[in-house]
Amino acid sequence: MLYFDHSATTPIDQTVQSLMSDLNQNLYGNPSSVYASGRKAKHAVEIARKQFADAINCQPNEIIFTGGGSEANNIVLWNMIHKKRKHVITSSIEHPAILLVLKELESLGVKHTIVPVDTNGYVNPDDIKENITSDTGLITIMMANNEVGTIEPIQEIADIANKHDILFHSDAIQVLGKLPLDVKRIDIDMMSFSAHKFYGPKGVGALFIKSGVIIKPMIIGGSQEKNIRAGTENVSGIAGLGLAAEIASNFEKENFSHLLELENYFKELIIDKHNDITFNGFDNNKLPGLVNLTIPNIPSDLLLINLDNDGISISNGSACSSGTISPSPVLKAMGLSDKSNLESVRISAGKYNTMDEVNKLVDSIHSSIVTIRKNT
Amino acid sequence: MNKKIVVGISGGVDSSVAALLLAEQGYDVECIFMKNWEDEDGEVCTSADDYNDALQVCNILGLPIHSVNFSKEYWDKVFTYFLSEYKAGRTPNPDVLCNREIKFKAFLEYAMKLGSKHIATGHYAKIDCINSQYRLLKGKDKNKDQSYFLYLLSQEPLSKSKFPLGDLEKEDVRHIAKKAGLPTANKKDSTGICFVGEKNFKQFLEKYLPANPGEIISTDERKVGTHSGLMYYTIGQRKGLGIGGGYSDNNDPWYVVEKDMKKNKLIVCQGKDNPSLYSSKIIVTQLHWITNIIPNEKQELAAKIRYRQKDQACTIELIKNKSAIVSFNKPIFAAAAGQSIVFYKNEECLGGGIIEPYVN
Repeated sequence: MLYFDHSATTPIDQTVQSLMSDLNQNLYGNPSSVYASGRKAKHAVEIARKQFADAINCQPNEIIFTGGGSEANNIVLWNMIHKKRKHVITSSIEHPAILLVLKELESLGVKHTIVPVDTNGYVNPDDIKENITSDTGLITIMMANNEVGTIEPIQEIADIANKHDILFHSDAIQVLGKLPLDVKRIDIDMMSFSAHKFYGPKGVGALFIKSGVIIKPMIIGGSQEKNIRAGTENVSGIAGLGLAAEIASNFEKENFSHLLELENYFKELIIDKHNDITFNGFDNNKLPGLVNLTIPNIPSDLLLINLDNDGISISNGSACSSGTISPSPVLKAMGLSDKSNLESVRISAGKYNTMDEVNKLVDSIHSSIVTIRKNT
Repeated sequence: MNKKIVVGISGGVDSSVAALLLAEQGYDVECIFMKNWEDEDGEVCTSADDYNDALQVCNILGLPIHSVNFSKEYWDKVFTYFLSEYKAGRTPNPDVLCNREIKFKAFLEYAMKLGSKHIATGHYAKIDCINSQYRLLKGKDKNKDQSYFLYLLSQEPLSKSKFPLGDLEKEDVRHIAKKAGLPTANKKDSTGICFVGEKNFKQFLEKYLPANPGEIISTDERKVGTHSGLMYYTIGQRKGLGIGGGYSDNNDPWYVVEKDMKKNKLIVCQGKDNPSLYSSKIIVTQLHWITNIIPNEKQELAAKIRYRQKDQACTIELIKNKSAIVSFNKPIFAAAAGQSIVFYKNEECLGGGIIEPYVN
């Protein structure tokens, strides 16, 4: 088994796993209960909140825990129906948990404008500026793209938003543990996170909401998470998220160099074997370890099946509910033809990958390409 | 190394068991779920559920599964034909074409690209090979026999295909699935055309073809009602004509006899025994013979003009290379233009063609 799809999800860190198992076994109290086991559970949740706040440099009371990154995005966007200014500006390469929600909200009076990206998937801040109207209440632009890794000009956009007194949210789900994150310095209003992208558990996420920004309840029925998200807390999951964030942030620099090293090594090896391969997106100014490449005349679905049969996991396009692959809207927005789009795959390395695994990955891609060419 | 085979799996019980049997026989089984239809936005389609079922089956059986999108090929090669036939007032059978163009062509080619020499499906039919001629035979389960839908296959796809259910009854298949704990064991058989699914066929067609309402005329030229567009009706259809009382001579139900496309009129008659519903001769075009051997004209053959129909004794008289006049020993009910007629000699499916209106 070789796993090279860390942008989809990551294996859980062993320390995180141990903590969660321990809590699952021994800490069954409801954090809302006032007796000892309840108070202990509450304490575990609040430790996690502090750990997470430290990891992104904010106050613990600016964090609410959610059922994942998509939920965090949904909370932000659904709140627009309560706002006076209901126009949202976003980009063409956002995750479906942004773009599809905005589509859904149209009929509820929340309008939106989608700004384009260049061939590297980069948003031009001027495009955002130009589309601001007196009704614009929110700008939401991802911090780094999940398919090509492009890092967006978040600071410039934050400055624009603040100047126009518009809320600014960013989906930073791919970022934690790979790049430095400081919400104070950016001066951003809201940011979404997901634990399983940084070696934490699945089904847990967090939303940073800057102190003073008002977000109305999304799930109603209890006072948990500042009334925004009712329901008994996923104690072990939240604790796992907190610890995973702490580890990710402490080892961010090491992780960055490790991933970059794997990335450069991979590119070097693969280009050496197949010099017709092209890389999509920036060479720099991108998430380390994430490579999106187009292999001419090799349909990505065939390549993926071949690699899967070799026990190697990489991904392509956007998988739909019946498991088939449609052209990636992100690559499309970057101007790739449908043909090239369907010949593109994403490789995303993680902290446990080694140079030797990269060797094996390249060998397997190479032999798959040879097999596919032979059989067609 | 084991022999590799790619199994087309649909999320139904038949293909699940086909995969299971081949794995038990020692094949290196790889499953492919074919997605042949793109759902439109916001519409709930069963293909996601079907994929989930297929995925569960493969996980239980420990087999790899991948999903492949053939919807472009399906649209170009099957659906456009389907629409043009409906537009012309005919009753096409897309499943026949789907087998030739998708399952036994695009899918087969895909399997070859994956390095497999064979494919398998959950069809109830058999293949044998005598003197290097591949023959298509009826499945053992006479009630489920699907050779009708496979008559357009030719030697090459037959030589590369396996039908593991050919010697089984449906009941056996469900039993095997149950014993293996497959979630598809009791799944209802799919009905209707695959891309329409359980949806209302009329509403489906309405989206693609403009409807042109007109008069319903009886065979004795009385106006007896109005139709909502000729494409919605099929020869021999009884239900949904909406002909009220007052026009009837008796209590016999009304049937569609003919569609007059030029005048946009639907011709109906009363009573199932009405002679205008029966033909003793029909013209068949686009003939295809599975072994490339054209049967002798004097030979008595059996034919089905629709799926699961009882064999009808007939003889054929060739007109041109790919057309023939078929004479039935007993007149047949509701031969609809555009439908497939499939010929048999005992158990062997010889081939077939497309029914054209016969003008006496």
